[in-house]
Amino acid sequence: MHDDDHLRFTDLIRTFGRLRVLDGVSGTVSAGELLLVTGANGSGKSTLLRCLAGLLNPQSGEIVCRIDGEEVDIETRRRTVGWIAPDLAFYGVLSAIENLNFFAKLRGVDPARGSALLKRMGLPPGRAAAALSSGMRQRLRWAFALLHRPPILLLDEPLQNLDAPGRAVVLELLGEALDYGALAVVANPDPLEMPHVARRLTLGG
Amino acid sequence: MWRDASRWAAESYALFVKEWRTEWRTRHALSTVALFAFTTLVVTSFTLGPAGTGSAMRPVLPIILWVILLFASTAGLPRSFVHEEETGTAAALRLSAGPFAVFAGKFFYNLTLLLALEVMIVPLFLVLLQVPVADPMRLMLAMLTGGWGLAAASTLIAAMVGQTQNRGPLFAVLAFPLLLPLVIFAVRLTWSAIEPSTAPLAVDPGLMALRLLLLYDGSVTVAGLMLFPVIWNP
Repeated sequence: MHDDDHLRFTDLIRTFGRLRVLDGVSGTVSAGELLLVTGANGSGKSTLLRCLAGLLNPQSGEIVCRIDGEEVDIETRRRTVGWIAPDLAFYGVLSAIENLNFFAKLRGVDPARGSALLKRMGLPPGRAAAALSSGMRQRLRWAFALLHRPPILLLDEPLQNLDAPGRAVVLELLGEALDYGALAVVANPDPLEMPHVARRLTLGG
Repeated sequence: MWRDASRWAAESYALFVKEWRTEWRTRHALSTVALFAFTTLVVTSFTLGPAGTGSAMRPVLPIILWVILLFASTAGLPRSFVHEEETGTAAALRLSAGPFAVFAGKFFYNLTLLLALEVMIVPLFLVLLQVPVADPMRLMLAMLTGGWGLAAASTLIAAMVGQTQNRGPLFAVLAFPLLLPLVIFAVRLTWSAIEPSTAPLAVDPGLMALRLLLLYDGSVTVAGLMLFPVIWNP
């Protein structure tokens, strides 16, 4: 990671039909920092994160991402981010470890990393993803997001459904990621009691 | 470049293995495809009897075979991308694998599924309808090249259908113009395996059909690889 690594978005506009969800949203977050995006339901938090991840194109505006001192294109950005979202799902017939091994192979990561993350998350590796509780599924999303030690973390409602020990583990992992130089954008309807928050952005207000 | 190619191959292989692993546990596509093919085959054999022994019905037999394969595949193959979108796994896949690898992994899964279907259906078809095969090599080529084209076109169409809301009718609308030439060439090549032409090699209709099939397969595969990133990513 380089000190000048950052994610900057300027004047993002995104509409769905006649509904303008993002109306000139701007912000920036640097390596080792966490940007907390808050706002009411429907204010565009998830849309903003999807645009930043490269899963959705804004109609106008600019997203600039620098990783390891180099500006990267949308394809690289998409492959690089660690992503958590409420609608992120896994293959239900595969076990938690089979899901992580599959994504590890796609990302060229040692499968041992997946096992280590599952152990730390306290997840039963052999249980089918479809048989996980909502809290366990959220832990699996965290393991998926951190699998490849991403330089960018885009986390949409990352503490949803987690119990107190679960929150403690994921916040510890988030802190470690920020320590190694990752940057994070966290979206949540309410201001979270989160450590590491360096910047704040409120949408729809 | 070699590093990129090897990464691409590893991603495609991982996706291919995942497709078969999930399919083996649920058997959604296998059961749909096999049930349709076996039912149609049994009904056809009961109705027509040993049609291969009489010369009047024989030209219809390759058409029946390819109609069975076409409809069996359209009953099972379009689900691959729709299922990813409906269950919410598409985002994880988009973020983890390159579009070429996704297309290749899904394509090889569809191809092997079709070849497995052909291995089950074709011998039964030949036995039940007592179809004489004069040139088994040509029949194998027809199944391979026809299966390749069908898998490539189905993968591409399934990817388009997966991105839309009105999924049911769209597959049929897109599949008809894209698959029609393939089925025509495959029927001609299959017919030439049953009833070899006495024409010189240069104008042999079977070989002509094989060339057109190879051209079709190459074109659809290349078009699929080129178009897929645009279809798959926003």
